[in-house]
Amino acid sequence: MSTTVTPAERLLDLVIALTHTEHRMTKADVRRHVNGYSHAGNDDAFERMFERDKVTLRELGIPLVTLTDDAHGDDIGYRIDLDGYDLPHVDLTPAEIGVLSVAAQVWDGEHLDLPARRALTKLRAVSPAASGELSGHVLRIPPPSATFDPLLSAIADRAVVTFTYRAATSRAASQRRVEPWRLVVRDGAWYVLGHDLVRDAERLFRLTRITGAVRVGAAGSAVHPRSAATDEGAASVDGASGTTSTARVAVRPERAAQVRLRATSVTTGDGRWAGWDLLALPVGDVEDLAGLLAGHTDAVVVLDPPHLRDAVVSRLRAAAALAGPEAPRG
Amino acid sequence: MAEPTSTRLARLLAMVAYLAERDDVPVAELAEHFGVPQAQIMKDVDTLWVSGTPGYQPDDLLDFSADSYDAQRITLTNARGMDRPLRLGPGEAVALIVALRALANLPGMGADPAVASALAKLTAAAGDAAQAADAVALERADAVDAPLEDHLARVLAVARAALAARERVHLRYTAASDATTERDVDPLELLSDGESWFLRGWCLLADGVRHFRLDRVGEITRTGVAAAAHEVAPGTGRVRPESGALSARLALTPRSRWVAERFGGEVVAEDDARIVVALDVADEAWLARLVLDLGPDVLGLEPADVAAAIAGRASAALTAYPLTADEEVG
Repeated sequence: MSTTVTPAERLLDLVIALTHTEHRMTKADVRRHVNGYSHAGNDDAFERMFERDKVTLRELGIPLVTLTDDAHGDDIGYRIDLDGYDLPHVDLTPAEIGVLSVAAQVWDGEHLDLPARRALTKLRAVSPAASGELSGHVLRIPPPSATFDPLLSAIADRAVVTFTYRAATSRAASQRRVEPWRLVVRDGAWYVLGHDLVRDAERLFRLTRITGAVRVGAAGSAVHPRSAATDEGAASVDGASGTTSTARVAVRPERAAQVRLRATSVTTGDGRWAGWDLLALPVGDVEDLAGLLAGHTDAVVVLDPPHLRDAVVSRLRAAAALAGPEAPRG
Repeated sequence: MAEPTSTRLARLLAMVAYLAERDDVPVAELAEHFGVPQAQIMKDVDTLWVSGTPGYQPDDLLDFSADSYDAQRITLTNARGMDRPLRLGPGEAVALIVALRALANLPGMGADPAVASALAKLTAAAGDAAQAADAVALERADAVDAPLEDHLARVLAVARAALAARERVHLRYTAASDATTERDVDPLELLSDGESWFLRGWCLLADGVRHFRLDRVGEITRTGVAAAAHEVAPGTGRVRPESGALSARLALTPRSRWVAERFGGEVVAEDDARIVVALDVADEAWLARLVLDLGPDVLGLEPADVAAAIAGRASAALTAYPLTADEEVG
């Protein structure tokens, strides 16, 4: 055999050997008989190589089982369990494999990107060529934020997390200790749902409002179970009003097209607002909407509700103060 | 970058399962299907051809038709029992299921029937491995802002169709300055940061590459004209200005550090009370929108003339609101 056996070639021969073995193979059998292992060098190098290869096989979902044999004392043997090896039957259409091809490419960053692409490769083994409207172009979704990965592993490990959170309505950022249950997308934004240990209540935290790193505690440190009410989406967003309402705003003619796209109704103003258009806008996150409206300065005036108007006025006041003497240092 | 071992091993095994069901498959077709160059497919076949069970005598090895091989076509003649498609590992199932759910949750995508059916089939095929994906829930709660959702779905559908057909589109677009223009754009790709959608394209009005936020696109129509070829750098997948025309310094409250992370700025100074972020922005209008959105979190801004201009517009907007009680007293 060739003297330069790449790791993928060695692993392929290991998979074939362990699926064909009559009973089991010990480490010594592997070293002696499987292509690629005889080049490992000394015992330590072989042990490290074999341990690394076992991890790779398990990452790939290959069911590696260990067997001890009474006749051979403590010597552990290995075999690949063919009963748990196969992908269940799946019959994907060209359009569906096209959709999955797009999905497998959405992740930025190796942690999710590599496993997603491997999953796609395995599905392609039993699928026709991709087609469909999506296959011709690029869609990319950066991970919701850098907090996504640590939160996902904390949920899997039932670990408490701590992070700094800037709530939408309160001025100060504060430290939160949370037992995370799920990552949730609602209205296009990512949240982590969990039990807030400081307030002893269920809360949703918006990922883009978590500042800095998420620190993950010990596995198993989370104890609060998820309630049934939570599954029905009853938890409130931390720092948001939690209720949906309708705002009334006056908009100058021909202005603020971006705001107009959100309106559920448009009427013509009169009296003080003669010549303006009056819009009804759904209010989700008050602070998000206030930011959009304040950005349109004198093209938009908030009439109702008062807390939205206050949120806009506070932004305008802060911006109006920027003409003052205070300039950034550094 | 060298291909990770697990990526190549997954493909080697998938190719055997795929080829076991087909004869005389052109190398070009395999390259297209598995998303790798033809030269890599040839290397993979060469590897498979010398792989097998220990002993590695001719009868132990996977075998291919040499005649087909010479004609750049692949026929597997002995799979050595390795023609079984491999199941998904837990990490693989989570990464692809969550990617697909994220895709399905974006406005305008959930309506694609192939997305829903692919998700159902993928979840079934993943078996137990799909359970870990339950940590990620994507709620398609009733959209708070239905008019905007409907509008985005329409804009996105036209943009996707134009991309697939490589066709020029006509946009009515409202920029950050609130100025609305009509322009022709050759679409390059659709991007989402998980919250907003952007069309990246060659703008014939600006004679360069621009990002268009879909929630600022008032109207989009297909022109029936083929998009021209443009020499542009490949997309980075990031939603950032193509060039920073204006260099700004923002003094912000410490909780606003995310501004630097999200928009590619740099924290150049910080103490307990404030951070200073250096940020290159597309234009003054974009900066004004950011400053008005951040409101009281902005403590200072340079250049001073830009700060004065934004302050002036904010002051003008404030005249529409009655003074509050404590100001009347003061």
